Amino acid sequence: MADPQLLRLLTWLSPAFPVGAFAYSHGVERAIHDNTIRDRATLVAWLSDLLTQGSGWNDAVLCAASWRGEDVAELAEAMAGSRERHMETTLQGEAFVQAAEPWTGEGRPAPYPVAVGHAARNQGIALDAVLTAYLHAFSSNIVQAAVRLVPLGQRDGVATLAALEPVILDTAARASQSTLDDLGAATVLSDIAAMRHETQYSRVFRS
Amino acid sequence: MDGIHSEQITAAEVPVVRRPATDDSMAARARVRLQRAEGVARVSFRRAGRGTGLARLYQEGCAKLRMPAGLPGEPAQAVLINTAGGLTGGDRFRTQVEVEAGASAIITTQACERIYRSTGDDTLIASQLHVGKRAALAWLPQETILFDQSRLRRTLDVDLASDARFTAVEAVIFGRTAMGERVHQGHFQDRWRIRREGRLLFADDLRFSGAIDRALQNATVLAGNVAMATLFHAGPEPERLLDSIRDALGDNGGASVWGGKLVARVVAKDGLHLRRAVEPALRILMGGSTLPTVWKL
Repeated sequence: MADPQLLRLLTWLSPAFPVGAFAYSHGVERAIHDNTIRDRATLVAWLSDLLTQGSGWNDAVLCAASWRGEDVAELAEAMAGSRERHMETTLQGEAFVQAAEPWTGEGRPAPYPVAVGHAARNQGIALDAVLTAYLHAFSSNIVQAAVRLVPLGQRDGVATLAALEPVILDTAARASQSTLDDLGAATVLSDIAAMRHETQYSRVFRS
Repeated sequence: MDGIHSEQITAAEVPVVRRPATDDSMAARARVRLQRAEGVARVSFRRAGRGTGLARLYQEGCAKLRMPAGLPGEPAQAVLINTAGGLTGGDRFRTQVEVEAGASAIITTQACERIYRSTGDDTLIASQLHVGKRAALAWLPQETILFDQSRLRRTLDVDLASDARFTAVEAVIFGRTAMGERVHQGHFQDRWRIRREGRLLFADDLRFSGAIDRALQNATVLAGNVAMATLFHAGPEPERLLDSIRDALGDNGGASVWGGKLVARVVAKDGLHLRRAVEPALRILMGGSTLPTVWKL
């Protein structure tokens, strides 16, 4: 069956969609520098935590709230935990809103998960589908950064995504039932890594 | 008022009163009510001459406020005291602080807040702070110590006027390891919402739930550490403080400045090491003001 919603999601959350995602490592460049992420196993563990109890989870909750029509742009912006995280979510969000204009028309800039949730609602895309696609793009982008920096082989990168499949699906399912009361993260050292990325001497990524 | 204890009884030690009730649920309700500690403290500060004086003070239940005599030219200090000696499931502690235009105050606590085992209900701690024009407030409670099977939900709501200064720290210890204590199971949520002129300036939600001790081992979480703190500062030119805050926090911490605020986090292997990082950082954030005595190492 032809499915225009699926097609749209694939376009919007493809690495080719011009939001500049490739420029951000979400603090992972620092964790690799510190040797905390050093192989496939440590990468899978790091990403699992971001998805289940970290910034990935918060993004999913905010995306879901935005999809339901709640105005959470200000909250999402205030939740960015450091200067580079703030830049990462606001600049990608702005770029997304502009790039999505052919489908949604002119829109108001919002942090990335909020902008994606809003556009998906606008186009009648199901919540669990957009959450799955968003969390996949979030994970896949960090995996690509790690493949480059650890370095890992492309096969390790793909294996990481395979290992994260159940985590992404479960997180998307939980987030689709969430409210803003479910916001909350335990990933304090991931936040600290994002802050410490600012002072890293040699950097490839903007976060 | 229902649910308020006399101050001699600590929440954890309130005896279970057996009543000759035929209805089990009624007895359960009575027991729950008897075990609850509740405290409310409201204080407001006003500019008085060249310093800051107390404008209003209200205290109820297990909440008391002590006002140590201030040094000339220094902010007013208030020390929050929980006479229940700790909090357990169902207990509530509410604090409201207002610093009026041009006034300057520091709030701290007399002791570390201990959050004891809960049989199901959450312990609720809610603080609402309001800082007026040209006013300054430092919110510097001592560390919160979580015990095994504790359940704490805490909120910090702050409203800042356009040019108000605000400094805050919340430090948490997940079990006193020196005493062999660990938080195997529990729930801890800390929600901060800091607004300037009604607009959200910073929002933070910490959430640790379930097998906390196991989660703390994760590299993204605390990597086996059991103590952590979040520091916040909003005032003119926070970027000037950034390098010295980073130096003070060392390799286990991070700090960042953006959008007119400084945010820092740090982890440590125990409460003492956490203090050794947090105390010098607070001194920097407080500028020329003296830290409350309880914070000195």
